[in-house]
Amino acid sequence: MKRFVFSLSILFVLSLALNDRSAAGNITSGNLENCKNCNEGKSAEGNMSYVGSEICASCHADIYDAFLKSVHGKKMIPDSPANKRECESCHGPGSEHVFKPGRGKGIFVFNKDVPAKDRSSKCLACHEESKSLAFWDMSKHKSADVPCDNCHSIHYGTEKYLKAAEPDLCFSCHRDIRSQSNKQSHHPLKEGSIKCSSCHSPMGGFGVKMIKADSINELCYKCHSEKRGPFMWEHPPVEEKCLNCHVPHGSNHSKLLTEKVPFLCQNCHNEIGHPSTIYTRFETFKGTASSGKNRMFARSCLNCHSNIHGSNGPSARGSHWLR
Amino acid sequence: MLLAMILFSMSVSYSLAYEYRLETDIELTGELLDIEGNKAKFNEYRDIRDGLYGRIHLLYDSNYYFDFNAADIGYDTQNYRLEGGKWGSFKFYLDYFEIPHNFTFGTRSFYSGISTENLSFKGFPPSTDIGTWSTFDYSVKRKNYGGGFAFDMIKPFYLDVTISREEKNGVYPLGVAGTTPGGITIELPVPVDYITDTLKIEGGYIKNPLFLSLSLFMSEFDNDNHNLNFRNPATANTASTTDVLTLPPDNNYYKLSFNGGAKLPLNSKFNLNLAASRATSEVKLLDFLVDDVPGGRVPVSLSDKTFDGKIDTQNYNFVLTSNPVSFLDGKIFYKHYRRENNSDKITTIAEGETLTNSLFGYKKDDYGAEFGFRLPANLYLITGYNHVRTERKREDVPVNRDDVYSVDLRWSGLDFMTVKVGYEKLHRDAEFHAPDVAPDDPEFINTFVRRFDVAAKDRNTYKVSVDISPTENLNFSIGYKNKDTDYKDVVLGLREVKGDEFNIDADYTFGKVAKLNAYYDYEKVRYFQFQRQLPFNATSGFDPSTPPTAAAFNWDAKQKDRSYDYGFAADIYLIPKRLTLKLQHDYIRSNGDVDFTYHLGGNPLPAGRTQDNIDISNWDDYTLRSYMIKAIYNATKKLSLSAAYVYEKFTYSDAQLDGYQFVPATTGTNGAFLTGAYKDQSYRANVVFLSITYKF
Repeated sequence: MKRFVFSLSILFVLSLALNDRSAAGNITSGNLENCKNCNEGKSAEGNMSYVGSEICASCHADIYDAFLKSVHGKKMIPDSPANKRECESCHGPGSEHVFKPGRGKGIFVFNKDVPAKDRSSKCLACHEESKSLAFWDMSKHKSADVPCDNCHSIHYGTEKYLKAAEPDLCFSCHRDIRSQSNKQSHHPLKEGSIKCSSCHSPMGGFGVKMIKADSINELCYKCHSEKRGPFMWEHPPVEEKCLNCHVPHGSNHSKLLTEKVPFLCQNCHNEIGHPSTIYTRFETFKGTASSGKNRMFARSCLNCHSNIHGSNGPSARGSHWLR
Repeated sequence: MLLAMILFSMSVSYSLAYEYRLETDIELTGELLDIEGNKAKFNEYRDIRDGLYGRIHLLYDSNYYFDFNAADIGYDTQNYRLEGGKWGSFKFYLDYFEIPHNFTFGTRSFYSGISTENLSFKGFPPSTDIGTWSTFDYSVKRKNYGGGFAFDMIKPFYLDVTISREEKNGVYPLGVAGTTPGGITIELPVPVDYITDTLKIEGGYIKNPLFLSLSLFMSEFDNDNHNLNFRNPATANTASTTDVLTLPPDNNYYKLSFNGGAKLPLNSKFNLNLAASRATSEVKLLDFLVDDVPGGRVPVSLSDKTFDGKIDTQNYNFVLTSNPVSFLDGKIFYKHYRRENNSDKITTIAEGETLTNSLFGYKKDDYGAEFGFRLPANLYLITGYNHVRTERKREDVPVNRDDVYSVDLRWSGLDFMTVKVGYEKLHRDAEFHAPDVAPDDPEFINTFVRRFDVAAKDRNTYKVSVDISPTENLNFSIGYKNKDTDYKDVVLGLREVKGDEFNIDADYTFGKVAKLNAYYDYEKVRYFQFQRQLPFNATSGFDPSTPPTAAAFNWDAKQKDRSYDYGFAADIYLIPKRLTLKLQHDYIRSNGDVDFTYHLGGNPLPAGRTQDNIDISNWDDYTLRSYMIKAIYNATKKLSLSAAYVYEKFTYSDAQLDGYQFVPATTGTNGAFLTGAYKDQSYRANVVFLSITYKF
């Protein structure tokens, strides 16, 4: 406890001492004159020349301040813009913009007027050699012309410089998934316990739907390792694909089932006796049927066949997933 | 202690750095909850209750950095994460978080020993007076401990290591048949005491034009309870018979993967992925089962008393992408996935029945291509085709061949509008093998069954969406999707699924005054299935074209699921940068029903039934309404205060749970000893939050 209090005290003192320290420089409009007189740093783009980030900061102080705090502003990272031309590393030479100021005029900007490919290529120029972007060329987002800056902010942002937190960011395009995740049976996505990126690689991968696994089941078993078995009595559709019975993003039916039981089971099992039986309102708790109700009420088939994901139970009790 | 460590680290770093940033913010939230109804459903993945919630964020940023976040401290959703490292050299993280999953609180059982692997009860039969039963909660909680580090300093090589442990504990409902066939059902509180340890090591090389990586993933699952022993109230020798429900076995899993990519001429790239995995388990099998016979136990003869499970998979992916000219993007790919079941094959003999487990395995070969064409008039056309051949060790449908064709067209000819249309067709062929049995064999019914997961089908999906941004501060989008699946060869089973989805979204920013957002989603799904009812021990009448009798006849069910949700949110900047008012309303509704039809010909329906009074009108019907009003006041740059009120009401009605009875009957197929799992899920809650945040 003493150590805790001591450490907290240090923190407090440090905070007070350093609170007003700002990394951003105080650039004034007077510096513009320096730019105008500058004949150095001519770029490949004709007569446009680099003006230096101090000039940028004179008008865009907030953004420049954010840039310095961001990963892009870290001089410790060898290839970061901080070690290149700072703002102009991404936005290109700024001389024309300085002389003809205006939103997006005379510089490279990340907005919808610029083709997605060109915007992404700015980012890829540095980030392509990272393992998270190693398979960007296979990404569905790339083939759908979704540029990096649709999701990532260059200057500000939350985790990973996302423009909004997951899942809201993803829902802004994937509205059908938002609708599904609103359903009463869902993974804890809205609650923030998991993220879209817990299962998907938005920047590309080999998995179908950009999932982070070679198969659907492999992905599910990462969190549901108890379903991995291997079981003596397997249920083949379960072993082939969890999605035969479950929808991962949300369902009106409990356990993320595609349909309610008993119908889901009866779609495959029409064997004589109770699997083939029509279970109606009469077989519910409120119904008046004289038999067969425990195949319909509560959890229906799962009232007895609870080990539906696989069993090591004895003989027919196991092969029918009853034990 | 953790905090102290962080601060210590920060102090050390302070001495090393010459320029740094230090940020701290602490938030304290007081919550008051007033709730009526199902507290577990309200808090399914949350822990909202009366109390004080804390959140801390500490950031030290210089050449070294440390970023610590803690939230919901002391609650079931508490989470802590420390990230740190040296920019450009290495990074690490340590985290701990909890995820609750609450199912039902206040459930009841006549068993003692709940949350252990031994359930028993005194006397016989068990009391049907639920007032004498013990109460407990169905709830599980995951506790995750993790850490990892990554080295960037060895570029172009890299090394990432992550390790984690997840403990999952609680009680979960599972049901068993007391006896079979025709017995009662018994709902059991099953203990969940799982530990899963994982380790991932990945190393590689990445420098254009080459990317190479090798990774090892290991996961070890350990279940403290391999069996649930329970006294079965449905068997003859009820005084002494202990029945057994087997629980998930311990397993070990590892996977070795190699990923690679190489840039090629013509703006092309070749990517490959090679992976192999193995999952194993070892289970001591039960040499008895419990049935309604004198003595209760029936011996089970086993060809091997231990089951050794072993599943191997192999996966190969080869993908070539290319952008040889500016107007063409292309991708061709091949994927092979194989699941081999190398587990023990064991023969069991019990009650005169000999059974041997099948070893299910399958392989998929998937190849195809996708091409994107940038056309004049701002049109972008993407066409795709892939073929998937699946071979599986399954008697009914050992082979499937899927052909998937897709075309998507995007038009962005106007600055303020993008229109997308898309179409996908899936055509599935299935090699169906009818069971080779005599027409009087009960298995003969499967001659007419086509199981939907493998049945031949045609699926057509159409979609269209329009995104409009007429001004910088207004965005509007509208989308529609139609997906129809026709299981064309199905005689018995699921024949048709039709779905329609519709979404609208709009957001508008009134300068510095307000930001508004609204959405609406609608979905309608219809299922049609056709079945044949046959009595137990039937030896004829399997063919659905056979004229119906009162005992053997066809029936169908048409299910409809209609869901819609809408929401409205407004951020009103009453005093810009000082006082913000947030308003939010969400409404979610599902309305399901089932329309049954008996195809009895001239035979009468069972007594009391008509074609109309058998239908179900409440099939997972629910409504969730929520309202939130929140005010945020930034008193100073360092201090902000907020107050919020949330009202949430969930009403749920379902034919399978309405009128819930713990013991509807004690014998026969109406018989059950239930515990109340998922009963009465409706709730109404009022929550008040008051928060203070201080930034140092």
